[in-house]
Amino acid sequence: MKLSQFGFLSDCIYNMTMTKLSWRTYFVFVITGIFIGILVTAQVKSSVPSSSFIYDQLAAQKALIKDYVDEQAMLKSKIVALRSQIENNQANIRENSQDNNLEALKELKNDIGLSPLKGAGVEIKLNDGFFVNRDSTDQIDQSLVQASDLRDIVNLLHSAKARAIAINDQRVLASTSISAVGNTIMVNNYHVLPPFDIVAIGEKEMIMPLLNDKSYLPDLHARIAQFKIQFSAEAKNNLSVPIYNGNLNTNFLTEATSDSQ
Amino acid sequence: MKHLEKIREMKFSGIGRQQVSILLTSVLLGFLIVTQARSFTDVTALVGRDSSADVFREIKILKTTNEKLSNEIKDLEDQLAKTSDSGKALQGIADEIKKYKLLAGRVDVKGPGIELTVNGDLKALWLTDIVNELFNAGAEAVSVNGIRLTDKTVGFDTIPSGQILLNSIILKKPFVFMAIGDKQVLRDALNQPQGILQRLDQSLGGVTIDLKQKDEVRMEKVF
Repeated sequence: MKLSQFGFLSDCIYNMTMTKLSWRTYFVFVITGIFIGILVTAQVKSSVPSSSFIYDQLAAQKALIKDYVDEQAMLKSKIVALRSQIENNQANIRENSQDNNLEALKELKNDIGLSPLKGAGVEIKLNDGFFVNRDSTDQIDQSLVQASDLRDIVNLLHSAKARAIAINDQRVLASTSISAVGNTIMVNNYHVLPPFDIVAIGEKEMIMPLLNDKSYLPDLHARIAQFKIQFSAEAKNNLSVPIYNGNLNTNFLTEATSDSQ
Repeated sequence: MKHLEKIREMKFSGIGRQQVSILLTSVLLGFLIVTQARSFTDVTALVGRDSSADVFREIKILKTTNEKLSNEIKDLEDQLAKTSDSGKALQGIADEIKKYKLLAGRVDVKGPGIELTVNGDLKALWLTDIVNELFNAGAEAVSVNGIRLTDKTVGFDTIPSGQILLNSIILKKPFVFMAIGDKQVLRDALNQPQGILQRLDQSLGGVTIDLKQKDEVRMEKVF
């Protein structure tokens, strides 16, 4: 057998070409060759651009998003601090005043999530599947926790009469939106990342059976059973939910008195 | 190198040269497939997930949210100043109560907005998604079939018959969603390409959707 200077591979090619091959073998080689040609072409066409412009642009956009997120965190902590200061001042006024409005105000604040709440309830842990990287996985991958999963769980908790709900320390109100932008989930337009810690204060005897009932949240339960996402729910006695730290707008909302019809 | 020599010396008697060649070609093919797949993943990560449309939308949401939060801080600073001034403290509390009553659903409310009527067999998840989209677009109050959604009434419950309960009342079609807010923004949010209404239409055949902008939408108090 003659060996060429290009080594074993070229030797094989030499043998292949010098040997009388059957038509079947030729056919296999032709088909395989076409496949390789397609793959090489696709590889060349789909290669990541070598220019740094796209990378620079994406890096700048990500830096901008990070700036906004950092600013948002700062603004929200300032809101919490201001509401706390207002609460303290009003507590002082309450001590020195007979104004009944202060009790009414306290009750209203409880109703719209401006008071922290502690008590018994359920803590739910929800996470993406094992070995899944959210940053490099397609948005619709079933191994990722979706915004709709969080919405469905929150809806179920509300149905079970939960008195207060928070996702990763973001208080969930009736007006809270839980949405997705790409693979990013936003609660109250604030970035939240997995693992998701959902705390619900309420009757755990009402909440737990609904969470464990597979007829509710069927899609979520199916993915849990297939180990696509991680889920656990536990009844606890000492849970706390923080106050709402977002904005409460009434720019378009006015009271409708009976004579204004 | 010793292994290569041994293979060379095998003379391909049992296996045959052609089979070995095919084996090698298959290995090469497998290598190319894996390389190609990885390349696609890289491209998807760069262009698919971080597409400009998503990033710009995210930036816009964050920018708008931060502006609203800054306005909230100004309002809270005004409130704080009032609580520190004995002459204005009680008036400040009265103003707060008035605002919170609007938000809590303690009084009848009105304002510009939209009326969305969806006639079809909707499941609770669609109602949740539509309501979510309305609040996401900045709605300050939302009602479904005349029931205002507040922290006391939220939660669409599906009963065994398949009917949907809200605040212990069975919701029947057509489902009428009212929202108070910037009517143009609300309308655009619902109507955007691949938005909630388009997805609803694509997912559930035979659903009729009617969306109207309104100069005045009214909602009754909850309790």
